Amino acid sequence: MSSRTNERGVTAAWRIALGSTLVFALGTMIAFLLLHEFVSREIQRRSDAWLTGEVSVLSDVAERTPRGALYDRIVDEVAQLATKEIPAGISSVSDPTQAVFFMETDANDSLKLWVGPSDSAVFTRIITRNRFKPEIPINVAIAGHENPYRVVQFVANDGNVIYLGMSERNDHQVLVRMRGYFLMIFVAIVLLGFAITFVSSRQLLRRVQRVTETAAQIDQDNLQSRVPAIDGNDEVAQLTATMNRMLDRISRTVEQLHSMSDALAHDLRSPITAVRGRLEQALMADEPGRIKEPIAAAVEELDQLANLLTTSLDVAEARAGALRMHRTRLGLNQLVHSIVELYEPSLHERAISVRLQCEEGIEIEADAGLFHRMLANILNNAMRHLPPGSTVSLTLRRDDGMMWMTVEDNGPGFPPEVCARLFEKHVKGRSSTGHGLGLAFLHAVTVAHGGTIEGRNRTSGGTQLILRFPC
Amino acid sequence: MRVLVVEDDAANREFLRRSLAESGYEPVMAATAREAKLAAETTPCDCGIVDLMLPDGDGIGLIRDLKESGFSAPILILSAKRSVDERVLGLRTGGDDYLTKPYAIAELMARLENLVRRAESIPAEQRTVLRVQDLTLDLLRREARRGEQVLELTTREFSLLEFLCRNAGRMVTRSMILDKVWGMRIDPETNVVDVHIYRLRNKMERHGEQPMLKTIRGMGYVLKDK
Repeated sequence: MSSRTNERGVTAAWRIALGSTLVFALGTMIAFLLLHEFVSREIQRRSDAWLTGEVSVLSDVAERTPRGALYDRIVDEVAQLATKEIPAGISSVSDPTQAVFFMETDANDSLKLWVGPSDSAVFTRIITRNRFKPEIPINVAIAGHENPYRVVQFVANDGNVIYLGMSERNDHQVLVRMRGYFLMIFVAIVLLGFAITFVSSRQLLRRVQRVTETAAQIDQDNLQSRVPAIDGNDEVAQLTATMNRMLDRISRTVEQLHSMSDALAHDLRSPITAVRGRLEQALMADEPGRIKEPIAAAVEELDQLANLLTTSLDVAEARAGALRMHRTRLGLNQLVHSIVELYEPSLHERAISVRLQCEEGIEIEADAGLFHRMLANILNNAMRHLPPGSTVSLTLRRDDGMMWMTVEDNGPGFPPEVCARLFEKHVKGRSSTGHGLGLAFLHAVTVAHGGTIEGRNRTSGGTQLILRFPC
Repeated sequence: MRVLVVEDDAANREFLRRSLAESGYEPVMAATAREAKLAAETTPCDCGIVDLMLPDGDGIGLIRDLKESGFSAPILILSAKRSVDERVLGLRTGGDDYLTKPYAIAELMARLENLVRRAESIPAEQRTVLRVQDLTLDLLRREARRGEQVLELTTREFSLLEFLCRNAGRMVTRSMILDKVWGMRIDPETNVVDVHIYRLRNKMERHGEQPMLKTIRGMGYVLKDK
């Protein structure tokens, strides 16, 4: 498994590196070609400008200067100019006349004057074959010379024709050197770019791969593995953090599911056993009159069982933060009065009195069904645990944007063994006959409504519950 | 009176079929949403009972489809969920009702009858005087009499007696009483309703009158009408 993901990571890195390098190389190449074109044009433009400028000066000089004196001056001029034009050290040719020539012919194309490389006959023959436009340089290839010459023609007034030519060897050398440099740099950059992209994308993919490997390790039995935390705040670090958070949530949910099903089994088995017992009793009864009683008891127990199931699931869901609610605006005053009115006769029968102190006009956004059951629960508790002669008092007041509900009694108080864990499921006093869900349910509903609940024994005796809801 | 029953659980379906037939209804049974749509097309019904969890879809979806195809009868929704979701509450305001499982068959029958009565607008609710045997309730004056004897009832006791009178001869469960008289859907683990009934009964039979209010152990109460 691991080696396969490893291979996949390398190929992905290879692909990413190759792709980006190709694009980069292509782009650089295009940029260089444009640059090359521009440079070669510029070099030619410069030498053309030199040639045309020089040829007009020379022809001017040729027209005005007597023959004997002209020769020396031209040689001197040409040699000097050519030396200036050709940067020293580029070429091994030390003789500048190898690079530049001056030629004068008469109207019949016979050579009258020559300054330049020794094979003047070849030059004369080839050059005079070409058609020139005045003062526009053209390329002329000369047999025996590697590089063509750039030649410009000037026709003097006396019919003589002056040619000035310059070898393109230097220009060529510049371009060749430029191409050479570029190629070296190009190869170096592309290789370096490829290496950097490959390494960095492989590092990146390795981190992604760790996430994948962690995810792959997770199965039904193992929800504990986590991706090693990564410093920084880049996308992969975020992916890692998100993945770990998701795993936390999943494992929490699974844990809750386990504890919920355990709790449910715990809550349901004993009542089911009781119902079963009753029904068996009915089946065993000989007289028809004795069948009804156990069946009636079984039905009542089934009702309680359904009720228990509902409460147990509500508590479990509320603990998981997933209790479904349907909130409406509830007038608490009326609600508390009518529930107290419902319970009052039963409490009275047990000689428990209720004191209700309720501020007018308190409203709260709450799930009516859950709130009804919560209040019924409080009074059920009172009925179950308070000895005759006790008083339970319910106080409702609004303070500081909160609704405070205080439930106090003067009974025996919470048994000491449960005091620290009042609101946990299945925590109940030794003498309690309940399922230990009552206070857990209160807690669940309160928390689900964004409230808080506290419970303690009053110093003067009896219990005190303080519930606080935002309203 | 035909009732379309959509319930996928075979045991529950058979139980509903028998109970409805015994109460004089003519049940039309369907186990799936598809069967229900087919049945509704061929047989016009006066009322429907629809379970929310069906093997081929959601009961709410089925109800919507039925209503769209012209099924105008009221529907009683059966839900196994603990909390009734908002869509069901929405249907309730639209004239339908719901009942959570497990339910007492008496409660189902009572709710069904209520739905039908409401749909046919039988003016049972319009009466201002209710009479059951020698018991008379004047709803306008909020006065109850047993024979000539005026009963001294609290407001709530009067509402409770009114509810029992409206369902005279039928069994009412504790949760029905809590829902209709106190407006709460709770299941008190203790005998809170019993004590109210006990007090009411005492007041009704204070002068040695015939017992009218019978307790059926494990189920609820009946106000005998004969």
